[in-house]
Amino acid sequence: MKNTIKVQRAIHNMTQQDLAEKIGVSRQTINAMEANKYVPSTLLSLKIARLFHVKVEELFQLEEDE
Amino acid sequence: MSNSLLIPNRYKRLGFIILVPSLILGAMYMFADFQFDFLTIPNENKKLFDLDFNFTDEIALTGAIAGLLLIAFSREKTEDEYINTLRLESLQWAVLINYVLLVIATWVVYDNPYWHVLIYNMLTIPIIFIIRFHYVLAKNKAQ
Repeated sequence: MKNTIKVQRAIHNMTQQDLAEKIGVSRQTINAMEANKYVPSTLLSLKIARLFHVKVEELFQLEEDE
Repeated sequence: MSNSLLIPNRYKRLGFIILVPSLILGAMYMFADFQFDFLTIPNENKKLFDLDFNFTDEIALTGAIAGLLLIAFSREKTEDEYINTLRLESLQWAVLINYVLLVIATWVVYDNPYWHVLIYNMLTIPIIFIIRFHYVLAKNKAQ
């Protein structure tokens, strides 16, 4: 699975720490998500999408073999 | 999903404070036959069993386990879903690695020295968990 969190973060000019604080998680979580080491829960995904004013499907994409 | 088996973050320091002297005491007991004399209870039934009871080793082991559990089960400053998942994963890892090491030791160590293996094995699950969990967290922080 790919995600565009880093891109969205850049568009909205946020650091990982900013994003972490806004959704109420640790910076490690944001880091792990962007490094594709962690798949966030539905709740967290929805929160991120709402924050960036995009749809969840724009943030996360399934890869060919999944 | 919140993890309610965890204790506040400040207990981590307490854990270390209990752990380190307990480990030292345990090492002194095992390798230098050191005992605290005030912890000896005289044996009233010398006919059956010729030694006095001493509780230095009990104190050392209980202290070490208590210290390790306090460290292992203390919350991080921010507990969120990722840390929860990492915690679970690290526990699985620790159990697996522990038993692999135990099996290897079982086939490599024999007779009296195996007693040492058993003693260490009592502590290695929390130790491996603590190392793995904090290693991954530190690696994440560094990025």
